[in-house]
Amino acid sequence: MVDERRYLEPQKDAGRATAENGVVILEGPDGVAVTMTAEAADLTARSLHEAAQKVRDGDSAVPSEDDGNLEDPNRP
Amino acid sequence: MRVADPWPTMAAPKVAMLTHNVLRNRAVELSEDERSILESAVACTRSYPAGQIVVRQDVPVDVSTLLVEGFMTRHIDAKDGRRHLVAVHVPGDFVDLHAYALKRLDHDVGALTNITVAVIPHAALQEIQLHHQHLTHRLWFLTMLDAASHRHWVVRLASLNAVQRVAHFLCEMHARLLAIGRCNAGRFELAMTQSDIGEVCGLSNVHVNRVLRQLREEGLCGVRSGQVRIHDLQGLATVGVFTPDYLYLNRPAALRAVGTPGDDHG
Repeated sequence: MVDERRYLEPQKDAGRATAENGVVILEGPDGVAVTMTAEAADLTARSLHEAAQKVRDGDSAVPSEDDGNLEDPNRP
Repeated sequence: MRVADPWPTMAAPKVAMLTHNVLRNRAVELSEDERSILESAVACTRSYPAGQIVVRQDVPVDVSTLLVEGFMTRHIDAKDGRRHLVAVHVPGDFVDLHAYALKRLDHDVGALTNITVAVIPHAALQEIQLHHQHLTHRLWFLTMLDAASHRHWVVRLASLNAVQRVAHFLCEMHARLLAIGRCNAGRFELAMTQSDIGEVCGLSNVHVNRVLRQLREEGLCGVRSGQVRIHDLQGLATVGVFTPDYLYLNRPAALRAVGTPGDDHG
């Protein structure tokens, strides 16, 4: 039997934020389901924008002492 | 929740079987002899009002509790004050059978509604373990059912979106209540507030409210005043990515739990 495991990978689908009864609801991608105040939503949006810009600028490399590889080399 | 007062106690009634719903319509059921043995192990019944803690975390216990009537929860209070419902129990569930081995719980067990429970001393369970191997295996099966549910509750929170989580939970409760005859044509009592459902599904009240509205507008189900009415069980199960395999129902109950064509949903 082939084990078709899929590992968590960066989502390509965007989350969707909606206003509901005085708060902001963020749904998806994956299992994200968060309710935030408008202020928290603003800060989250700003943080997401800044992080996305860093990625586009190539400024998101892992520090040299940690190559970010947590894989067990003995694992098939 | 309040801490339990000294437990009111009464003699176990002899007419109705307190153990009637234990493993009812599951893949493995009790024989009449086994049910009688378990029934005779009941020391007393106790009643609690909704909101009362019946077994508190970290307190040594020497009895186990079988839920006879009403709904109970297992919950863990996080350090930030949030309560996490990690299990909802229906009649026939042994809410803390694992305490027989563990001797203390790592969570509270509370009454979600007014409840009646049957109390079985661990000494009586030990007698069963020593003299009734087959029944012991059945009781072990019960704790394995708990573990299966916990696994699927983890997956529900980890991988399903909001509407999927609520749909999955409602399908699960429908299936479990169906198995004990507490569901009629897709209708069942679920004495849970939106906050309670939110604590099960990791969602805010507002979010649960919206999800329930969405399920209603899509013609799948309605939840109002502690009553659930499922209009389209197959549709709800599809939305909730629900299959009842982890509940280990017998085949007829498993088919009815997902609204097999020709079934009356309850």
